[in-house]
Amino acid sequence: MVRYGMIIDLNRCIGCRSCAVVCKIVNSQPPGTWWQRVETVGSNEHMVPVGEYPNLSEVFLPIPCMHCENAPCVDVCPVGATWQREDGLVLVDFERCIGCRYCITACPYGVRQFNWQDPDENFKQGFERSGFEENWFAEGDYKYGYPKDHRTDDGRLVYTKTRPRGVVEKCTFCVQFVDQGIAPACVRGCPGNARIFGDLDDPGSEISKTLKDRAAFRLLEELGTEPKVFYIPPARKEGRGGVRYGEKI
Amino acid sequence: MGRKYDLAMGILAVLALIGVAAFIYQFQKGLILTNMRNPFSWGIYIAMWAFYVGTAAGGLVVSSAINIFGVKQLKPIAPVASLSAFIFAVAAMIMILPDIGRPERVFYMFIYPNPKSLLPWDFLVLSVYAVLSAVYTYVQLQPKIAERGISLPFGKTIMKKGDLTPAELENLRVKSERRAKALAPIALPFAILIHTVTAWVLATQLSRPWWYGGLLAPTFIAAALTAGPAVVILASLVVYGLREDLKPTYRLLAKVSAFSAVALLFMYYNDFFIRQWWDAGREYDALMLVLRDYLHIHAVEAVFLIAGIVILAKKYDTVSGLVAGSIAVNVGILAHRYLLIPPAYNLIPLRVPVVMAGESFEWQYPIAVGEVRGTLLNPEPVFVSYWNYIPSAVEMAITVGVFALISFVFLALMKALPVRE
Repeated sequence: MVRYGMIIDLNRCIGCRSCAVVCKIVNSQPPGTWWQRVETVGSNEHMVPVGEYPNLSEVFLPIPCMHCENAPCVDVCPVGATWQREDGLVLVDFERCIGCRYCITACPYGVRQFNWQDPDENFKQGFERSGFEENWFAEGDYKYGYPKDHRTDDGRLVYTKTRPRGVVEKCTFCVQFVDQGIAPACVRGCPGNARIFGDLDDPGSEISKTLKDRAAFRLLEELGTEPKVFYIPPARKEGRGGVRYGEKI
Repeated sequence: MGRKYDLAMGILAVLALIGVAAFIYQFQKGLILTNMRNPFSWGIYIAMWAFYVGTAAGGLVVSSAINIFGVKQLKPIAPVASLSAFIFAVAAMIMILPDIGRPERVFYMFIYPNPKSLLPWDFLVLSVYAVLSAVYTYVQLQPKIAERGISLPFGKTIMKKGDLTPAELENLRVKSERRAKALAPIALPFAILIHTVTAWVLATQLSRPWWYGGLLAPTFIAAALTAGPAVVILASLVVYGLREDLKPTYRLLAKVSAFSAVALLFMYYNDFFIRQWWDAGREYDALMLVLRDYLHIHAVEAVFLIAGIVILAKKYDTVSGLVAGSIAVNVGILAHRYLLIPPAYNLIPLRVPVVMAGESFEWQYPIAVGEVRGTLLNPEPVFVSYWNYIPSAVEMAITVGVFALISFVFLALMKALPVRE
């Protein structure tokens, strides 16, 4: 059985937010919605270190959906609109979701987001507020994003470019690509190659091998959600970008 | 009643219509019109839902207590109590509609229910409860309906059976009493269940330390037994007034309400003490959030509840005392319900420990709000770790509208049904 998971190597993350941007474009997310977040841990502003000189720390922590094995959002969804597919992906059926937002309350990682209004209206407002008089995406016009609707094998709508109003959405591990055997966009778009995506159940996959070799942790493990996104903790950096792996022999 | 009644009904009708218009507007534009956003995804609608569930249960607890425990003092007001239970159960269900993004899909809860989720259970329990309390009211009123009928507007009367002999009427009375006795033991567990299940919806969420734990359901029941009898007092005062023979009834209701409020405060501050003792952790932080940012709401809650307890315990034999006490405990419970929401959301569950040389703290990972805010020159952040929620005008209009609607229906039913002696 395939069971997809992801490793994010925090040593390699440079906090450039390319994953967030490529995710946003490829998955056609409306303004203000971000399936992928990257922040500097402990800082109010991204890319600003915390602490006092010379004891500074700057760790970037990207957060996609954790696709938990024991997902609270799946448990609380009253209508089964969120479910865990056999390959471990936690998905949202846009045609089933009633928009009660119980899952947003339940998710400890804050990855779930609601479509508070029509995307067309949202785009228009977004342009106006960021200083563009013109509405660049008129109704029915071309918009960025993977062009085709995607349905799972049992016919459930899990990706559509024009998001219905009043439903919840979140990171799908790019289900439209995974179903074609292609890795998620954030994995391919990471300039530092910080991410590994693959089958956790296959002992020969790169992700399984990496997990065997390296110490990895998961977020909020104490809640028992069993996330399938693993992090490799950052080692202390010395000098300019160098990584000290141990004393020289 | 006459002119005063018409004036009240007129005002309620206008408020209800404004609420309906606001709901239609919100349905067209989406929930963007509320001040809820991704980091703060439930607001006043859910708080009011919990409040109405509470007031609903109180009514049936009161009226079934007559038949189960033989509390004879409550008998005269039983139909009013069970009718208020029905009205508030319906109000709780109506209150959910504006909160969900796709109200037209709400029936999916029955077609595709997820048994692990507590929301479909809550829906089921609430629906059964509403039906039960309606049936219970009808059963109690059956002899009187046969005798006097239901008076519709414009002077029409229906369901009146004028040709009944006194013997037949007596027979009907006995039957109605027997049926009520049989229904009561079924209705009472549901009255307790609607609270418990509603509390479980929130209390099972380990990611929200303000709710999580075993104490929420008992607190909900205490809140229900505070607000419920107080609402029944108000409704009975409207219908019957402070009659001499009803004084024991009011005294009992006032006592139940006051005692439950004391129990509620005890459980609440017990929880506060335990949260603060350890001086750290997420439970502690949730409490600190209340004391730092929502102290005014908590003050309203505590002051009104204590005032209500004092008034109800002392002035239960005057109209002004009963009215003031009942309103005070209801305001307190309302504040209590509202306070359920903000400390749960503004403590973001994903907190990353940051350990530095001189300090260590837990850092809240910001959440995307769901829209672009501000302007080009004054941009506001998209990622926030604190959301200052204040209900928007549309939210207030809908909330007030629902209250006006149910009050309107309640008063209309009180006039139509033969509840009076």
